[in-house]
Amino acid sequence: MTGRLGLSRIALGLLGVAIVVALWQGTIAYYGLASIVLPTPLSVAATLLKLFGSAAFWRDVAVSLKEFVLGYVIGGVLGILVGVLVGERPAVRMTIGPVIEALRFIVPFAWIPLTVLWFGTSLTGKIVLVAYAVFFVMVVTTHRAMTTVDPVLTRVAIMLGMRESEIALKVHLRAAAPGIASGAKAAAAIGWIAVVAAEYIGASAGLGVMITNASMSLATATVIGGMIVIGIIGGMVSWLVGLAAAAWLNH
Amino acid sequence: MTTAGDRAPAGRPWVRPWLLGLAGSLGAILFWTAMAFWLKGGGGVISRLPTPLAVGVELATYARGPLWPDLAASLEVFLAGWLIGCTGAAVIGIAMGQSPLIGAIFGPVVEALRPVSSIVWVPLAVVWFGFGFTSKIFLVGLAVFLVVIVYAIDGARRIAPDLHRTASMLGMTPLQRFRALVLPGALTEVLVGARVALMSGWGTVIVAELVAADFGLGAHLIAVQQSYDVAAVMAAMACFGLAGFIMNAMFSLLERRLLPWRSGGATR
Repeated sequence: MTGRLGLSRIALGLLGVAIVVALWQGTIAYYGLASIVLPTPLSVAATLLKLFGSAAFWRDVAVSLKEFVLGYVIGGVLGILVGVLVGERPAVRMTIGPVIEALRFIVPFAWIPLTVLWFGTSLTGKIVLVAYAVFFVMVVTTHRAMTTVDPVLTRVAIMLGMRESEIALKVHLRAAAPGIASGAKAAAAIGWIAVVAAEYIGASAGLGVMITNASMSLATATVIGGMIVIGIIGGMVSWLVGLAAAAWLNH
Repeated sequence: MTTAGDRAPAGRPWVRPWLLGLAGSLGAILFWTAMAFWLKGGGGVISRLPTPLAVGVELATYARGPLWPDLAASLEVFLAGWLIGCTGAAVIGIAMGQSPLIGAIFGPVVEALRPVSSIVWVPLAVVWFGFGFTSKIFLVGLAVFLVVIVYAIDGARRIAPDLHRTASMLGMTPLQRFRALVLPGALTEVLVGARVALMSGWGTVIVAELVAADFGLGAHLIAVQQSYDVAAVMAAMACFGLAGFIMNAMFSLLERRLLPWRSGGATR
Protein backbone atom coordinates (compact mmCIF):
# COMPACT_ATOMS: atom_id res chain seq x y z
CA MET A 1 0.00 0.00 0.00
CA THR A 2 2.66 2.49 1.03
CA GLY A 3 4.83 1.54 -1.95
CA ARG A 4 2.03 2.15 -4.40
CA LEU A 5 1.26 5.41 -2.66
CA GLY A 6 4.87 6.44 -3.00
CA LEU A 7 4.80 5.77 -6.76
CA SER A 8 1.63 7.74 -7.31
CA ARG A 9 2.72 10.59 -5.03
CA ILE A 10 3.41 12.85 -7.99
CA ALA A 11 0.04 12.01 -9.55
CA LEU A 12 -1.73 12.80 -6.26
CA GLY A 13 0.16 16.06 -5.96
CA LEU A 14 -0.96 16.96 -9.45
CA LEU A 15 -4.51 16.06 -8.44
CA GLY A 16 -4.27 18.55 -5.56
CA VAL A 17 -3.08 21.26 -7.94
CA ALA A 18 -5.90 20.34 -10.35
CA ILE A 19 -8.48 20.67 -7.57
CA VAL A 20 -7.16 24.16 -6.72
CA VAL A 21 -7.15 25.24 -10.38
CA ALA A 22 -10.70 23.88 -10.86
CA LEU A 23 -11.91 25.80 -7.79
CA TRP A 24 -10.16 28.92 -9.09
CA GLN A 25 -11.69 28.68 -12.58
CA GLY A 26 -15.05 27.74 -11.08
CA THR A 27 -15.08 30.79 -8.79
CA ILE A 28 -14.47 33.11 -11.75
CA ALA A 29 -17.21 31.45 -13.78
CA TYR A 30 -19.69 31.35 -10.89
CA TYR A 31 -19.28 34.95 -9.73
CA GLY A 32 -18.38 36.38 -13.14
CA LEU A 33 -15.24 38.06 -11.77
CA ALA A 34 -13.27 40.65 -13.74
CA SER A 35 -9.65 39.83 -14.58
CA ILE A 36 -8.48 42.70 -12.35
CA VAL A 37 -10.03 40.87 -9.39
CA LEU A 38 -9.04 37.36 -10.37
CA PRO A 39 -7.53 36.47 -13.75
CA THR A 40 -8.03 32.96 -15.10
CA PRO A 41 -5.37 30.31 -14.49
CA LEU A 42 -4.68 30.32 -18.22
CA SER A 43 -3.94 34.05 -18.38
CA VAL A 44 -1.69 33.73 -15.32
CA ALA A 45 0.16 30.88 -17.07
CA ALA A 46 0.54 33.03 -20.20
CA THR A 47 1.88 35.90 -18.06
CA LEU A 48 4.33 33.53 -16.41
CA LEU A 49 5.62 32.33 -19.80
CA LYS A 50 6.09 35.96 -20.86
CA LEU A 51 8.00 36.64 -17.60
CA PHE A 52 10.30 33.65 -18.14
CA GLY A 53 11.29 35.10 -21.49
CA SER A 54 12.29 38.52 -20.14
CA ALA A 55 15.79 39.35 -18.94
CA ALA A 56 14.50 41.90 -16.39
CA PHE A 57 12.60 39.13 -14.61
CA TRP A 58 15.70 36.96 -14.21
CA ARG A 59 17.65 39.96 -12.98
CA ASP A 60 15.00 40.49 -10.28
CA VAL A 61 15.20 36.80 -9.32
CA ALA A 62 19.00 36.99 -9.08
CA VAL A 63 18.86 40.08 -6.85
CA SER A 64 16.35 38.48 -4.47
CA LEU A 65 18.28 35.20 -4.32
CA LYS A 66 21.57 36.96 -3.64
CA GLU A 67 20.05 38.92 -0.75
CA PHE A 68 18.52 35.75 0.64
CA VAL A 69 21.59 33.51 0.41
CA LEU A 70 23.97 36.04 1.98
CA GLY A 71 21.56 36.87 4.80
CA TYR A 72 20.69 33.22 5.41
CA VAL A 73 24.30 32.07 5.71
CA ILE A 74 25.30 34.94 8.00
CA GLY A 75 22.20 34.65 10.20
CA GLY A 76 22.23 30.84 10.24
CA VAL A 77 25.85 30.41 11.29
CA LEU A 78 25.62 33.12 13.97
CA GLY A 79 22.28 31.76 15.16
CA ILE A 80 23.50 28.18 15.62
CA LEU A 81 26.66 29.40 17.38
CA VAL A 82 24.71 31.54 19.83
CA GLY A 83 22.09 28.83 20.25
CA VAL A 84 24.75 26.26 21.23
CA LEU A 85 26.39 28.75 23.58
CA VAL A 86 23.07 29.60 25.21
CA GLY A 87 22.18 25.91 25.49
CA GLU A 88 25.52 24.89 26.97
CA ARG A 89 26.16 27.73 29.39
CA PRO A 90 23.35 28.64 31.79
CA ALA A 91 25.24 31.82 32.73
CA VAL A 92 25.25 32.96 29.08
CA ARG A 93 21.59 32.08 28.74
CA MET A 94 20.66 34.12 31.80
CA THR A 95 22.78 37.06 30.69
CA ILE A 96 21.78 37.46 27.06
CA GLY A 97 18.45 35.65 27.33
CA PRO A 98 16.35 38.73 28.17
CA VAL A 99 18.02 40.78 25.42
CA ILE A 100 17.49 38.05 22.80
CA GLU A 101 13.96 37.43 23.96
CA ALA A 102 13.12 41.15 23.77
CA LEU A 103 14.74 41.60 20.34
CA ARG A 104 13.20 38.40 19.03
CA PHE A 105 9.78 39.92 19.39
CA ILE A 106 10.66 42.95 17.38
CA VAL A 107 9.86 40.88 14.33
CA PRO A 108 11.73 41.43 11.04
CA PHE A 109 8.78 43.25 9.47
CA ALA A 110 8.99 45.90 12.20
CA TRP A 111 12.62 46.53 11.22
CA ILE A 112 11.83 47.25 7.58
CA PRO A 113 11.06 50.98 8.02
CA LEU A 114 14.25 51.38 10.06
CA THR A 115 16.47 49.49 7.60
CA VAL A 116 15.10 51.72 4.84
CA LEU A 117 16.05 54.80 6.90
CA TRP A 118 19.48 53.37 7.69
CA PHE A 119 20.54 51.60 4.52
CA GLY A 120 18.25 53.11 1.91
CA THR A 121 17.10 50.73 -0.79
CA SER A 122 20.48 49.01 -1.00
CA LEU A 123 21.33 45.31 -0.85
CA THR A 124 22.84 45.72 2.64
CA GLY A 125 19.51 46.53 4.25
CA LYS A 126 17.92 43.33 2.93
CA ILE A 127 20.89 41.16 3.92
CA VAL A 128 20.80 42.59 7.45
CA LEU A 129 17.07 41.98 7.62
CA VAL A 130 17.29 38.36 6.42
CA ALA A 131 20.23 37.64 8.73
CA TYR A 132 18.23 39.12 11.61
CA ALA A 133 15.18 37.00 10.79
CA VAL A 134 17.19 33.77 10.38
CA PHE A 135 19.39 34.42 13.41
CA PHE A 136 16.56 34.44 15.93
CA VAL A 137 14.87 31.38 14.45
CA MET A 138 18.15 29.47 14.66
CA VAL A 139 18.97 30.63 18.20
CA VAL A 140 15.55 29.59 19.47
CA THR A 141 15.35 26.25 17.64
CA THR A 142 18.96 25.31 18.44
CA HIS A 143 18.48 26.16 22.11
CA ARG A 144 15.15 24.33 22.22
CA ALA A 145 16.63 21.26 20.53
CA MET A 146 19.56 21.24 22.94
CA THR A 147 17.38 21.46 26.04
CA THR A 148 15.33 18.46 24.90
CA VAL A 149 18.43 16.26 24.62
CA ASP A 150 18.05 13.26 26.91
CA PRO A 151 19.96 14.05 30.14
CA VAL A 152 21.05 10.40 30.27
CA LEU A 153 23.29 11.10 27.25
CA THR A 154 24.99 13.90 29.16
CA ARG A 155 25.51 11.71 32.21
CA VAL A 156 26.93 8.90 30.06
CA ALA A 157 29.27 11.35 28.33
CA ILE A 158 30.46 12.71 31.68
CA MET A 159 30.94 9.17 32.94
CA LEU A 160 33.00 8.36 29.84
CA GLY A 161 35.24 11.27 30.78
CA MET A 162 34.46 13.53 27.81
CA ARG A 163 35.46 17.14 28.06
CA GLU A 164 32.76 19.82 28.15
CA SER A 165 33.51 21.04 24.63
CA GLU A 166 33.43 17.44 23.40
CA ILE A 167 30.04 16.89 25.05
CA ALA A 168 28.73 20.08 23.49
CA LEU A 169 29.88 19.24 19.96
CA LYS A 170 29.78 15.45 19.81
CA VAL A 171 26.84 14.65 22.07
CA HIS A 172 24.52 17.62 22.44
CA LEU A 173 24.87 19.11 18.96
CA ARG A 174 24.47 15.69 17.35
CA ALA A 175 21.48 14.75 19.47
CA ALA A 176 19.92 18.13 18.75
CA ALA A 177 20.64 17.87 15.02
CA PRO A 178 17.10 16.87 13.92
CA GLY A 179 15.66 19.85 15.75
CA ILE A 180 18.29 22.20 14.32
CA ALA A 181 17.65 20.79 10.83
CA SER A 182 13.94 21.48 11.00
CA GLY A 183 14.78 24.91 12.37
CA ALA A 184 17.05 25.54 9.39
CA LYS A 185 14.20 24.61 7.09
CA ALA A 186 11.78 26.94 8.86
CA ALA A 187 14.42 29.67 8.85
CA ALA A 188 14.78 29.34 5.07
CA ALA A 189 11.07 30.00 4.61
CA ILE A 190 11.09 32.93 7.04
CA GLY A 191 14.26 34.39 5.51
CA TRP A 192 12.75 34.22 2.04
CA ILE A 193 9.61 35.94 3.34
CA ALA A 194 11.79 38.68 4.83
CA VAL A 195 13.46 39.28 1.45
CA VAL A 196 10.15 39.73 -0.34
CA ALA A 197 8.74 41.87 2.47
CA ALA A 198 11.76 44.16 2.47
CA GLU A 199 11.61 44.52 -1.29
CA TYR A 200 7.94 45.36 -1.08
CA ILE A 201 8.50 48.33 1.23
CA GLY A 202 11.73 49.80 -0.08
CA ALA A 203 13.95 48.44 -2.82
CA SER A 204 15.08 49.24 -6.33
CA ALA A 205 15.17 45.69 -7.72
CA GLY A 206 13.93 42.20 -6.90
CA LEU A 207 10.79 40.10 -7.10
CA GLY A 208 9.01 42.15 -4.41
CA VAL A 209 9.52 45.31 -6.46
CA MET A 210 8.20 43.55 -9.55
CA ILE A 211 4.98 42.60 -7.73
CA THR A 212 4.54 46.06 -6.20
CA ASN A 213 4.83 47.68 -9.59
CA ALA A 214 2.43 45.16 -11.10
CA SER A 215 -0.15 45.71 -8.35
CA MET A 216 0.04 49.48 -8.79
CA SER A 217 -0.81 49.10 -12.47
CA LEU A 218 -3.55 46.59 -11.56
CA ALA A 219 -1.80 43.81 -13.52
CA THR A 220 -3.27 41.15 -11.24
CA ALA A 221 -2.09 38.32 -13.52
CA THR A 222 1.52 39.46 -13.06
CA VAL A 223 0.96 39.77 -9.29
CA ILE A 224 -0.27 36.17 -9.07
CA GLY A 225 2.45 35.03 -11.47
CA GLY A 226 5.07 36.67 -9.25
CA MET A 227 3.53 35.05 -6.17
CA ILE A 228 3.79 31.65 -7.88
CA VAL A 229 7.45 32.26 -8.73
CA ILE A 230 8.11 33.27 -5.11
CA GLY A 231 6.37 30.09 -3.98
CA ILE A 232 8.42 27.92 -6.33
CA ILE A 233 11.70 29.49 -5.26
CA GLY A 234 10.73 29.30 -1.59
CA GLY A 235 9.78 25.64 -1.96
CA MET A 236 13.04 24.89 -3.76
CA VAL A 237 15.09 26.67 -1.12
CA SER A 238 13.30 24.77 1.64
CA TRP A 239 13.78 21.49 -0.25
CA LEU A 240 17.50 22.13 -0.76
CA VAL A 241 17.97 22.94 2.93
CA GLY A 242 16.06 19.76 3.77
CA LEU A 243 18.32 17.72 1.45
CA ALA A 244 21.45 19.23 2.97
CA ALA A 245 20.10 18.59 6.47
CA ALA A 246 19.24 14.97 5.63
CA ALA A 247 22.73 14.41 4.22
CA TRP A 248 24.21 15.92 7.37
CA LEU A 249 21.99 13.83 9.66
CA ASN A 250 22.88 10.58 7.87
CA HIS A 251 26.54 11.47 8.14
CA MET B 1 29.25 44.65 33.85
CA THR B 2 28.72 41.35 32.11
CA THR B 3 31.88 39.73 33.48
CA ALA B 4 30.93 40.77 37.02
CA GLY B 5 27.61 39.01 36.53
CA ASP B 6 29.34 35.91 35.23
CA ARG B 7 31.28 35.54 38.44
CA ALA B 8 28.25 35.89 40.69
CA PRO B 9 28.50 33.47 43.61
CA ALA B 10 26.91 30.12 42.90
CA GLY B 11 25.58 29.88 46.45
CA ARG B 12 22.65 32.23 45.75
CA PRO B 13 20.84 30.59 42.88
CA TRP B 14 17.63 32.60 43.36
CA VAL B 15 19.47 35.86 42.77
CA ARG B 16 21.67 34.84 39.86
CA PRO B 17 19.23 34.73 36.94
CA TRP B 18 17.94 38.19 37.82
CA LEU B 19 21.42 39.61 38.29
CA LEU B 20 22.72 38.11 35.06
CA GLY B 21 19.70 39.17 33.07
CA LEU B 22 19.99 42.68 34.46
CA ALA B 23 23.71 42.73 33.67
CA GLY B 24 23.08 41.56 30.12
CA SER B 25 20.34 44.11 29.55
CA LEU B 26 22.41 46.93 31.03
CA GLY B 27 25.37 45.84 28.90
CA ALA B 28 23.24 45.97 25.77
CA ILE B 29 21.89 49.43 26.66
CA LEU B 30 25.41 50.69 27.40
CA PHE B 31 26.62 49.31 24.05
CA TRP B 32 23.71 51.00 22.28
CA THR B 33 24.43 54.35 24.02
CA ALA B 34 28.11 54.09 23.15
CA MET B 35 27.24 53.35 19.53
CA ALA B 36 24.82 56.28 19.44
CA PHE B 37 27.53 58.67 20.63
CA TRP B 38 30.16 57.10 18.39
CA LEU B 39 27.95 57.40 15.31
CA LYS B 40 26.82 60.92 16.21
CA GLY B 41 29.45 62.53 14.02
CA GLY B 42 28.26 60.56 11.00
CA GLY B 43 30.88 58.35 9.40
CA GLY B 44 29.26 54.96 9.86
CA VAL B 45 26.65 53.39 7.59
CA ILE B 46 24.07 53.93 10.30
CA SER B 47 24.22 57.68 10.70
CA ARG B 48 20.95 58.12 12.50
CA LEU B 49 21.05 56.18 15.76
CA PRO B 50 19.25 57.91 18.64
CA THR B 51 20.26 57.20 22.24
CA PRO B 52 18.13 54.87 24.36
CA LEU B 53 17.08 57.95 26.34
CA ALA B 54 15.72 59.69 23.24
CA VAL B 55 13.78 56.56 22.35
CA GLY B 56 12.52 56.32 25.94
CA VAL B 57 11.28 59.92 25.84
CA GLU B 58 9.58 59.24 22.53
CA LEU B 59 8.01 56.10 23.99
CA ALA B 60 6.68 58.05 26.99
CA THR B 61 5.19 60.67 24.68
CA TYR B 62 3.54 57.96 22.61
CA ALA B 63 2.24 56.21 25.74
CA ARG B 64 0.53 59.42 26.87
CA GLY B 65 -1.07 59.80 23.47
CA PRO B 66 -2.46 57.38 20.91
CA LEU B 67 -0.51 54.24 21.93
CA TRP B 68 -3.41 52.51 23.70
CA PRO B 69 -6.05 52.73 20.98
CA ASP B 70 -3.35 51.79 18.44
CA LEU B 71 -2.33 48.79 20.53
CA ALA B 72 -5.93 47.69 21.08
CA ALA B 73 -6.62 47.85 17.34
CA SER B 74 -3.50 45.82 16.54
CA LEU B 75 -4.23 43.22 19.24
CA GLU B 76 -7.78 42.74 18.03
CA VAL B 77 -6.61 41.99 14.49
CA PHE B 78 -3.84 39.76 15.78
CA LEU B 79 -5.93 37.64 18.12
CA ALA B 80 -8.72 37.04 15.62
CA GLY B 81 -6.30 36.09 12.84
CA TRP B 82 -4.15 33.96 15.13
CA LEU B 83 -7.05 31.93 16.49
CA ILE B 84 -8.51 31.34 13.03
CA GLY B 85 -5.10 30.41 11.59
CA CYS B 86 -4.23 27.99 14.43
CA THR B 87 -7.59 26.23 14.38
CA GLY B 88 -7.56 25.81 10.62
CA ALA B 89 -3.98 24.58 10.60
CA ALA B 90 -4.64 22.07 13.38
CA VAL B 91 -7.64 20.54 11.62
CA ILE B 92 -6.12 20.44 8.13
CA GLY B 93 -2.65 19.51 9.38
CA ILE B 94 -3.87 16.52 11.40
CA ALA B 95 -5.93 15.34 8.41
CA MET B 96 -2.89 15.67 6.14
CA GLY B 97 -0.53 14.05 8.61
CA GLN B 98 -2.83 11.15 9.40
CA SER B 99 -4.06 10.30 5.93
CA PRO B 100 -1.19 9.67 3.51
CA LEU B 101 -3.69 10.18 0.68
CA ILE B 102 -4.80 13.68 1.79
CA GLY B 103 -1.21 14.49 2.63
CA ALA B 104 -0.03 13.49 -0.84
CA ILE B 105 -2.81 15.41 -2.58
CA PHE B 106 -2.55 18.70 -0.70
CA GLY B 107 1.07 18.53 0.50
CA PRO B 108 2.49 20.12 -2.66
CA VAL B 109 -0.22 22.82 -2.63
CA VAL B 110 0.58 23.76 0.98
CA GLU B 111 4.32 23.58 0.29
CA ALA B 112 3.85 25.91 -2.66
CA LEU B 113 1.73 28.35 -0.65
CA ARG B 114 3.94 28.36 2.42
CA PRO B 115 6.92 30.41 1.28
CA VAL B 116 4.65 33.06 -0.28
CA SER B 117 4.78 35.84 2.26
CA SER B 118 1.52 37.28 3.50
CA ILE B 119 3.01 40.60 2.39
CA VAL B 120 2.85 39.33 -1.16
CA TRP B 121 -0.85 38.69 -0.65
CA VAL B 122 -1.43 42.35 0.26
CA PRO B 123 -2.44 43.54 -3.23
CA LEU B 124 -4.72 40.54 -3.66
CA ALA B 125 -6.22 40.92 -0.18
CA VAL B 126 -7.06 44.54 -0.96
CA VAL B 127 -8.71 43.63 -4.25
CA TRP B 128 -10.64 40.80 -2.63
CA PHE B 129 -11.63 42.23 0.75
CA GLY B 130 -11.04 45.96 0.48
CA PHE B 131 -9.35 48.04 3.18
CA GLY B 132 -11.33 46.76 6.13
CA PHE B 133 -11.01 44.40 9.06
CA THR B 134 -11.52 41.32 6.84
CA SER B 135 -8.42 42.07 4.81
CA LYS B 136 -6.24 42.28 7.92
CA ILE B 137 -7.69 39.12 9.47
CA PHE B 138 -7.14 37.28 6.19
CA LEU B 139 -3.47 38.26 6.03
CA VAL B 140 -2.74 37.48 9.70
CA GLY B 141 -4.73 34.25 9.62
CA LEU B 142 -2.92 33.13 6.49
CA ALA B 143 0.51 33.89 7.98
CA VAL B 144 -0.29 31.94 11.17
CA PHE B 145 -1.87 29.07 9.26
CA LEU B 146 1.17 28.61 7.03
CA VAL B 147 3.47 28.39 10.05
CA VAL B 148 1.34 26.13 12.24
CA ILE B 149 0.37 23.69 9.46
CA VAL B 150 3.96 22.41 9.25
CA TYR B 151 4.00 21.64 12.96
CA ALA B 152 0.54 20.04 12.83
CA ILE B 153 1.49 17.73 9.93
CA ASP B 154 4.79 16.82 11.57
CA GLY B 155 3.08 16.15 14.89
CA ALA B 156 0.40 13.95 13.39
CA ARG B 157 2.95 12.06 11.30
CA ARG B 158 5.74 11.62 13.80
CA ILE B 159 4.02 9.20 16.14
CA ALA B 160 6.49 6.44 16.92
CA PRO B 161 5.55 3.22 15.00
CA ASP B 162 6.17 1.29 18.23
CA LEU B 163 3.34 3.17 19.88
CA HIS B 164 1.04 2.39 17.01
CA ARG B 165 1.95 -1.29 17.11
CA THR B 166 1.55 -1.40 20.88
CA ALA B 167 -1.80 0.31 20.63
CA SER B 168 -3.12 -2.11 18.05
CA MET B 169 -1.70 -5.00 20.07
CA LEU B 170 -3.65 -3.73 23.06
CA GLY B 171 -6.74 -3.84 20.88
CA MET B 172 -7.36 -0.09 20.70
CA THR B 173 -9.85 0.98 18.09
CA PRO B 174 -8.72 3.52 15.47
CA LEU B 175 -10.76 6.20 17.28
CA GLN B 176 -9.12 5.35 20.61
CA ARG B 177 -5.73 5.41 18.95
CA PHE B 178 -6.52 8.79 17.43
CA ARG B 179 -7.57 10.24 20.78
CA ALA B 180 -4.80 8.68 22.86
CA LEU B 181 -1.85 8.83 20.44
CA VAL B 182 -2.38 11.10 17.49
CA LEU B 183 -4.25 13.99 19.05
CA PRO B 184 -1.92 14.60 22.01
CA GLY B 185 1.15 14.25 19.79
CA ALA B 186 -0.21 16.51 17.09
CA LEU B 187 -1.65 19.13 19.45
CA THR B 188 1.66 19.33 21.29
CA GLU B 189 3.34 20.27 18.03
CA VAL B 190 0.46 22.63 17.17
CA LEU B 191 1.03 24.47 20.44
CA VAL B 192 4.75 24.75 19.70
CA GLY B 193 3.86 26.00 16.24
CA ALA B 194 1.30 28.40 17.67
CA ARG B 195 4.02 29.92 19.79
CA VAL B 196 6.36 30.26 16.80
CA ALA B 197 3.44 31.75 14.86
CA LEU B 198 3.01 34.41 17.55
CA MET B 199 6.04 36.04 16.00
CA SER B 200 5.06 35.76 12.37
CA GLY B 201 1.42 36.56 13.08
CA TRP B 202 2.38 39.61 15.10
CA GLY B 203 4.73 40.71 12.31
CA THR B 204 1.97 40.35 9.76
CA VAL B 205 -0.14 42.73 11.83
CA ILE B 206 2.26 45.47 10.70
CA VAL B 207 1.80 44.36 7.12
CA ALA B 208 -1.96 44.21 7.50
CA GLU B 209 -2.02 47.67 9.02
CA LEU B 210 0.12 48.90 6.18
CA VAL B 211 -2.72 47.92 3.87
CA ALA B 212 -5.35 49.86 5.77
CA ALA B 213 -3.16 52.57 7.27
CA ASP B 214 -5.91 54.12 9.39
CA PHE B 215 -4.82 53.22 12.90
CA GLY B 216 -2.86 50.56 14.77
CA LEU B 217 0.82 50.27 15.71
CA GLY B 218 1.84 49.47 12.13
CA ALA B 219 0.14 52.56 10.73
CA HIS B 220 1.86 54.70 13.37
CA LEU B 221 5.22 53.09 12.51
CA ILE B 222 4.84 53.94 8.83
CA ALA B 223 3.73 57.49 9.65
CA VAL B 224 6.79 58.27 11.79
CA GLN B 225 9.10 56.55 9.31
CA GLN B 226 7.88 58.81 6.57
CA SER B 227 8.79 61.83 8.71
CA TYR B 228 12.34 60.41 9.20
CA ASP B 229 11.88 60.34 12.98
CA VAL B 230 14.24 57.48 13.90
CA ALA B 231 13.61 57.77 17.66
CA ALA B 232 9.85 57.49 17.12
CA VAL B 233 10.37 54.56 14.73
CA MET B 234 12.39 52.75 17.38
CA ALA B 235 9.80 53.59 20.05
CA ALA B 236 7.08 52.03 17.88
CA MET B 237 9.31 48.99 17.32
CA ALA B 238 9.79 48.71 21.08
CA CYS B 239 6.00 48.70 21.49
CA PHE B 240 5.78 45.81 19.05
CA GLY B 241 8.56 44.02 20.90
CA LEU B 242 7.06 44.58 24.34
CA ALA B 243 3.60 43.46 23.29
CA GLY B 244 5.07 40.37 21.62
CA PHE B 245 7.19 39.62 24.68
CA ILE B 246 4.22 39.83 27.02
CA MET B 247 2.12 37.61 24.75
CA ASN B 248 4.92 35.06 24.61
CA ALA B 249 5.27 35.04 28.38
CA MET B 250 1.54 34.45 28.73
CA PHE B 251 1.67 31.68 26.16
CA SER B 252 4.62 30.00 27.90
CA LEU B 253 2.58 29.91 31.07
CA LEU B 254 -0.31 28.36 29.18
CA GLU B 255 1.99 25.84 27.52
CA ARG B 256 3.40 24.79 30.88
CA ARG B 257 -0.09 24.36 32.24
CA LEU B 258 -1.32 22.37 29.22
CA LEU B 259 1.82 20.37 28.44
CA PRO B 260 3.56 19.80 31.77
CA TRP B 261 5.57 16.87 30.37
CA ARG B 262 7.37 19.16 27.93
CA SER B 263 8.80 21.50 30.52
CA GLY B 264 9.38 18.83 33.16
CA GLY B 265 12.08 16.17 33.04
CA ALA B 266 11.92 13.65 30.18
CA THR B 267 11.22 10.78 32.53
CA ARG B 268 7.83 9.79 31.22
